[in-house]
Amino acid sequence: MSRAKLQELGIDLPLFPITSVGSFPKPDFLMKVRADFAKKKISRGALERAERQATEFWIRKQEELGVDVLVDGEMYRSDMVAYFAEHLKGFEEGGLVRSYGNRYYHKPIITGEVHWEEPITVEWWKYARGLTSKPLKGMLTGPYTVMDWSFIEYYPDRRTACLALAKEIRKEVEALIEEGAKIIQIDEPATSVRPEELPVAIEAMHIVTDGLPAYFITHICYGAFENIYPGMLDLPVDNFDLEMSNSGLDMLELFKKHPYTKDISFGVVDVHTHVVEDEPVVEQRLRQALETLPEEAIWVDPDCGLKTRTVEEAIAKMQSVVTAAKALRSSVESDE
Amino acid sequence: MELTLCNHSSYPRIGDDAEHQLLRRTIAQRDKGERTDDAVRAAQNRMTDLALAEQAEAGLDLVTDGQIRWSDPISHLAGKLSGVRINGLLRFFDTNFYFRQPVVHGKLQRTEPLLLEEFNYAQGKSTRPVKAVMTGPYTLARHSVEENGGAGGFDKMLEGYTAALAAEVAALAAAGATVIQVEEPALLKYPDDFPRLEQSITALAMSKASAQLALVFYFGDPAPIYDHLQTLPVDLLGLDFTYNPSLVDRVASNGTARTLALGLVDSRNTRLEDPAVSARQLEKLAHGADLNCAYLSPSCGLEFLPRDRARQKLRHLAVIRKTFLGSPA
Repeated sequence: MSRAKLQELGIDLPLFPITSVGSFPKPDFLMKVRADFAKKKISRGALERAERQATEFWIRKQEELGVDVLVDGEMYRSDMVAYFAEHLKGFEEGGLVRSYGNRYYHKPIITGEVHWEEPITVEWWKYARGLTSKPLKGMLTGPYTVMDWSFIEYYPDRRTACLALAKEIRKEVEALIEEGAKIIQIDEPATSVRPEELPVAIEAMHIVTDGLPAYFITHICYGAFENIYPGMLDLPVDNFDLEMSNSGLDMLELFKKHPYTKDISFGVVDVHTHVVEDEPVVEQRLRQALETLPEEAIWVDPDCGLKTRTVEEAIAKMQSVVTAAKALRSSVESDE
Repeated sequence: MELTLCNHSSYPRIGDDAEHQLLRRTIAQRDKGERTDDAVRAAQNRMTDLALAEQAEAGLDLVTDGQIRWSDPISHLAGKLSGVRINGLLRFFDTNFYFRQPVVHGKLQRTEPLLLEEFNYAQGKSTRPVKAVMTGPYTLARHSVEENGGAGGFDKMLEGYTAALAAEVAALAAAGATVIQVEEPALLKYPDDFPRLEQSITALAMSKASAQLALVFYFGDPAPIYDHLQTLPVDLLGLDFTYNPSLVDRVASNGTARTLALGLVDSRNTRLEDPAVSARQLEKLAHGADLNCAYLSPSCGLEFLPRDRARQKLRHLAVIRKTFLGSPA
C-alpha cells in the first residue's frame, strides 16, 4: 500500500479518500463565453476570467460536498488530448471525429518533432491550489493516450511517437512537482486497447515518473481490462483509477484470480447516464470492493470524468459518491 | 486491367464547417426538446446526400450510404431486435470510438427491417451503385452480454443474430442490393471461433439470392486465418492490409479463390500513402489475385478520419489506381 508514501509526502488522508477523476461540466456561463470567444466576440483575457470563475465554482463545490482530494475540474480544456496537443510543439489540430453518439472531438495530428516549451497546466494548478487547503491533484494526459488518440504523420511508428511524448510530458510533471504538487494523475485511458502494446505504455510511464517525488495515479477506462491484467500492475504508479461500475464490477473477479497490489480509485457511479445512482447502490458497490480489496487501498470516485453530464447531474453523482463513502467509512471505523 | 474503386462502409457525418454540422446541431436541439425526430431524419437525409455526392466526386464505382444514421456499429442493429436492451458505453476495438452494449434478455427476433429504409433512401439518391453494409452476427454476439441466461448462451445468441440478419440480407437483395457487405472484425480476436463464423455466414449466404455477399475483416491481421477464409461461401473477401505489411506477400503466394476487396488505404491515419508504394503492393497482389475483378478500398470505415482527410483518402484511391495502371508490368 502507498499510505506510507503519502505520509512521507506530508499528506494524511482518511479511510476511503474521496476524489473525482478530473473533469467537471462547464457551467452555462462558461459555455456562452467559450462560444463568444470562438466567434471572436471577446478577448482571451475575458475567456480566462470565466475559466477561473468556473474553476473556483468547482473547488468550492467539492469542498462543500466533502471531497478529500480535489481537482481543478479542467475548465480550461476542450479535450484531454487536444489540450496538450495545442500546447506542445509538433502538433496540428485535426478536424472533428466522433467519439460516441453525438459527441465529437478535434483529433490532433503529429506533424513534427514533439517538444515541451513551457509549463502547460502549472498555472491552473497553482490557481486552484490557492483556493483550497485540501490536497489537489495535478492532472495530465499520458504519452500512450496522447499518441493513440492522435494521427501520426511525423514519426515512423507508434512506439517512437509514444516515447518521444513521454520525454516531453515528464518535463510537465517536473514543473508541477517544482510548484508543490504531490499527487499527480497521469490519465491513460487508451492503455487497454492494444494489449500487445502494454510494454510500450509501461516503458513510457517509466520515462514519465521514475525517480520523481510524487504519489502517482493513472486513470484507465472503457477497455478490455481482462486483456491487460495483471500485466498492467507493472505500470510504475501508486494508484489505478478504474471505471468499475459501468462494467458491473467485473474486475473484482480478475482481482480474485490474481491479487491486486496497488491502491485503487474505485469508480462507483456511471458517468454516461443521466440516472443518478442512489447512495445505497453506491455503498453496496463499495462493500463488494471490500470483499476483495484491503480497506486502506481503496479511494472512491466516479467511473470517469463527469464533463459529459449537466452541472446538476455531476453534483448529484458526486453527492452520492461522498455520502456512500462517508457512510462506509463510519461503519468500518465503528467496527474497528 | 480494371480495379473497381469502392468505399468501405462509414463516412464522417460531421465536418468543420456549419453545413456539415447540421446533424450534430439538430440532434442536440432534438435532445433539448427544440426539434422533432422528423427534423433529425431530414438532417440525416441531407448528410447522406452529401456523403453520396463526395464519394461520386472522388470517382468511386461503388458507394455506401456512409452509415450516417448509425449511432454505432453494434447498437444500431441490435437495438432494433426484440429481446435486447441497450446498455452503457464500451470501447470499439482499439479505437477511441465507443458503442453501447446490447444486453440480451430474451429470444432475439427481427420484428422490423433493420437497414432497408436507409438502403432504399441511398439507392434512390445515388448516381452510383450502393453497397449495403451490416455488422455481422458473430461480431454482434461478441459485443453483447447475456442477462440472466435470457439468450440461452453464446451459441443461441449467435443463432438469433444470424437468423435476424439472414432475413435482412434477403430483404436487401429483394430491394435490389447487388453487393451486401457483412463485417466480422471480431473473428480476428477469436480465430478459434472460425467454425461458428462459418456456420453463421453459410446461413447468410443462403439468403442472398442474386446479390454478391462480401465478408470483410479489419482492425487486425487476417493472415493467420487467410486460408480458412478462402473456404467460406462468399463472393468477396475484404481484408485490412494495414496491420501486417507481409499480408501482401501471403496473398501473392497463396492466391485466392475469392474476389478480393483490398483495404490498402489506411482509414485510421491521416498520412497519405505513397502511390508508388501502393502500386508496388498491387503489382505483387496481381501474382495471386485477379485484379480485373478486385476492389480497391480503404482499410475500414472512414468515420475515424476528419471529413477533409476522409475525402482526400477516397480521392487517393483513384491516384493509386492510376499509378498502378500506368506502371510497367
